Amino acid sequence: MSTILIAVILLTLLALVFGVLLGFAALKFKVEGNPIVDELEAILPQTQCGQCGYPGCRPYAQAIANGDKVNKCPPGGTATMEKLADLMGVEPEPLNAEAQSQVKKVAFIREDECIGCTKCIQACPVDAIIGAGKLMHTVLTTDCTGCDLCVEPCPVDCIDMLPVTQNLKNWNWRLNAIPVTLLQETGDKETMLEEDKRC
Amino acid sequence: MLTLLDQLDKGTLWRSHGGIHPPEVKFLSNGTPIAKLPLAKTYLVPVPQVGENCTLAVKVGDTVLKGTPLTQGNSIWHLPVHAPTSGTIVAIEPRVSNHASALPVNTCVIEADGKDTWCELVPNELDSLSHQQIIDKIHHSGVAGMGGAAFPSHIKLNPASEIDLVIINGVECEPYISSDDRLMREYSQNILAGIGIIYRLLTPKRIVIAIEDNKPEAIKAMQVAVAQSALPAGSVRVTVIPTKYPSGGEKQLIQIITGREVPSGAIPAKLGIVVHNVGTAFAIYQAVVQGKPLVERVVTVTGKNVGKPGNYWIPIGTPVAHVLAETEFKPDPEQKIIIGGPMMGHALANIHVPILKGTNCVLVPSNQEIDTTPDEKACIRCGECANVCPALLLPQQLFWHAKAEEYDKAATFNLKDCIECGCCSYVCPSDIPLVEYYRIAKSALKQAADEKQQAERAKQRFEARLARLEEEKLAREAKAREAAERRQATMTGTDKNAVAEAMARIAAKKAAVQASDNTANVVTTAELKDAPQGKAAVAAAIARAKAKKAAAANAEDSDTSNVVTVKVSDAPSSPTGAISQDEPLSQKDKVAAAIARAKAKKAAQQTDKAQLETTDTADTADNASELTAADDKKAKVAAAVARAKAKKAAQQAETKTEDSLSQTTTTEAESTSYTLGEVNADAAIDDAEAIKKAKVAAAVARAKAKKAAQAVLTTAEPNTASKVEVEPELESVEDSQTQSSLALPSAKETVDSVATGSLADVQSAKPTSEPIETASLSSDELKKARIAATIAKAKAKKAAQEAHASSDSSVND
Repeated sequence: MSTILIAVILLTLLALVFGVLLGFAALKFKVEGNPIVDELEAILPQTQCGQCGYPGCRPYAQAIANGDKVNKCPPGGTATMEKLADLMGVEPEPLNAEAQSQVKKVAFIREDECIGCTKCIQACPVDAIIGAGKLMHTVLTTDCTGCDLCVEPCPVDCIDMLPVTQNLKNWNWRLNAIPVTLLQETGDKETMLEEDKRC
Repeated sequence: MLTLLDQLDKGTLWRSHGGIHPPEVKFLSNGTPIAKLPLAKTYLVPVPQVGENCTLAVKVGDTVLKGTPLTQGNSIWHLPVHAPTSGTIVAIEPRVSNHASALPVNTCVIEADGKDTWCELVPNELDSLSHQQIIDKIHHSGVAGMGGAAFPSHIKLNPASEIDLVIINGVECEPYISSDDRLMREYSQNILAGIGIIYRLLTPKRIVIAIEDNKPEAIKAMQVAVAQSALPAGSVRVTVIPTKYPSGGEKQLIQIITGREVPSGAIPAKLGIVVHNVGTAFAIYQAVVQGKPLVERVVTVTGKNVGKPGNYWIPIGTPVAHVLAETEFKPDPEQKIIIGGPMMGHALANIHVPILKGTNCVLVPSNQEIDTTPDEKACIRCGECANVCPALLLPQQLFWHAKAEEYDKAATFNLKDCIECGCCSYVCPSDIPLVEYYRIAKSALKQAADEKQQAERAKQRFEARLARLEEEKLAREAKAREAAERRQATMTGTDKNAVAEAMARIAAKKAAVQASDNTANVVTTAELKDAPQGKAAVAAAIARAKAKKAAAANAEDSDTSNVVTVKVSDAPSSPTGAISQDEPLSQKDKVAAAIARAKAKKAAQQTDKAQLETTDTADTADNASELTAADDKKAKVAAAVARAKAKKAAQQAETKTEDSLSQTTTTEAESTSYTLGEVNADAAIDDAEAIKKAKVAAAVARAKAKKAAQAVLTTAEPNTASKVEVEPELESVEDSQTQSSLALPSAKETVDSVATGSLADVQSAKPTSEPIETASLSSDELKKARIAATIAKAKAKKAAQEAHASSDSSVND
């Protein structure tokens, strides 16, 4: 009889000790927020364009963590969607927005036409437009994410989305594999000139 | 155990991994001395050539001399570009670049004048210069690494860490190039002088001049120069290294000379080593000792398709087309023109591109020399590429991932350490252009990294913006709260009183409107009690009004205004007699006369055009007043005319001013005249009723007077036009009152008094009360009349107070 009693008491004590330990650990090592949101946000392109239907990239990352679809980010393109699907362990889906060209664009203000209404400045999510009331505005191309949000509010339609011009710094080796010019005849300058024109 | 320095002195060499031994074709170009080419017609100088953004120091149309700086900048990374010859700048525009992409870059086009005149050169005595001065001279001469990378030399000569070893790179491992070879053979003394400057700046323990063993003449020349140099014995030595491609690579050379490997992602300076090209040493000598900026360099023009292969001093900016034309270039079909060596160079898309600071070779091979790109076959996993890779990478693994576009995985195999030497492509039995794949993968990774960086910056900016908006919102709210508190705190008793008064006024106004509605009905049945008396009163009132207007008409003339005053004083006397009224009435008349005078005076001060128009109508009214005296009927007609005129004047005034006051006065004038018309139409009713109605009329008059006074008050700064409006309205009211009953003169007086209340004459309210008493007949009516009178008094008082309160209501100025 006493052995049973001892066993019961011992087990109860053990249960208590472990219960206290677990309870303490739960408080001490509590993780604030969902860490996967940060990972998801790191994948998103941070254009803050709102095309996913959420006010910025982090809200969308939270929505994905809560079970939203991964195919709502047109600026990220298929590559981003695949990464999101991989991270969330879901099947990749085609982008639901119409396939937009992957060419990166930046806003450009036709400065002659700008009336200085500051509406685009208020619309820009990354403060990439500078200017003052009744004075011309301009876009900081290095900070523009190409989110299109400034185009809509412009009352005089003076904002264009221009593709980023290629220069030696951002030139992609593959995109512009320029064929080597082939020269035809010995020292014939005219032929050479024609060849040049073809370039 | 020998130290590193001992081993350096002994000439110990280490083996670097991999490497190849491509066929040597240096014999094509290294046999002839460095020559000069005739000047080109135009020179294309890209700006900026090396470094970051800069400012143009010249503009189109400027004449420049050889060596004139074309750019200026403050950044340490900025390297100035100089005019390669004397001439005129004909354009600064984007031109095709000497780059694998052939993308246009901003280029300064100089048309040579053929004289090739140097700008003023300042030779320097080396000993007199400080370190910083030397570095500045090198910087401002635009000296860049001449080995091909064109890294700004002044940065390498001013390192943050201690430098123990300087390696002068004369290896020149590319199989075709011989520019450094020729330079060392012909200018060894000058190169040594340049090395002396580097020694002075960096004070290393040792300087090693590394030369491959396939250049015996150059080795000999350099050894002679070292032996003759003034540098401390043993500090500089020439080390001969075995010929192998790519021993000339910075990291490979360091490994061969010292046996140490530069860590991935680090620079040699971390190991205390700096590598300079022999061409750079020569350029440093020219820049510091001769004061010559870097405007020309030795370029190997070679290949079987060049008639005169060799090394040439070519000004930077010379079009490749000119170089080829001067060296008897004979193009093959499908001719390739390669800038740099066959291993690492790039083919040109356009030959109208300039020679740059880093261009060491123009290779024009025949089709026999270099195969046209053969077809790529499948990788057979032979592993040759891994054997030859000098960077100890796994080329086929990199190729695998690069081909599958799994750039992340390629990056995990240290793709960034690939030096693109081309050994793997050279040995590949499947003719796979491996380096092309790596370049594509590298640019894709670079782009991804850039995008990531930009995304990070966008995120930071977005968060900063959100924080800013939140802050602004809080600040706004705090401000609003503060303002509300302040408002509540300052809302004292007087403010509350003001609000209460305003409420009372509104209530009174409402009551007045109601009363006037009632009177309109009552007065329709009203009848004049005593026609002659009434007419006399009318005459008196009209006379007063006319006098007033006449005074206004003769505003400028003070004499006439006096006369008018006399007239006014005369006018009341006859009505007094006719009505046989006693003193109070005459007193009242006097008051009225006084008011009239005051008004005349005031009107005299007004010189407004609108005012003049009004006075014109007053003149006609004045004429009509004489008729009134003659005939009763005519008097009525005249009264009507006067009313109409008054109304018209009010309307005119209204059109002149957009004041709300003008509208209310017009409507009042209209309603009063309407009432008057009704009065004229009816003609039979008993006295008591008449008195009652008279009282009602008096109340109406009071209400209106009050309203008028309020209107005057509400106009913060009553202009002349509004004053004009008030007067005709009051006069028309007067007319109506006098015609309705005898008691009405008192009412009229109330009107007057209130009007004068606005004219700051409060006392006139007192005499007004008396006429009411005299006018009322029965005792009951008397009592009521008294009450009415006291009310009128109180109201007049209040109106006067209000008039005082509003400091701006200086109508009587």
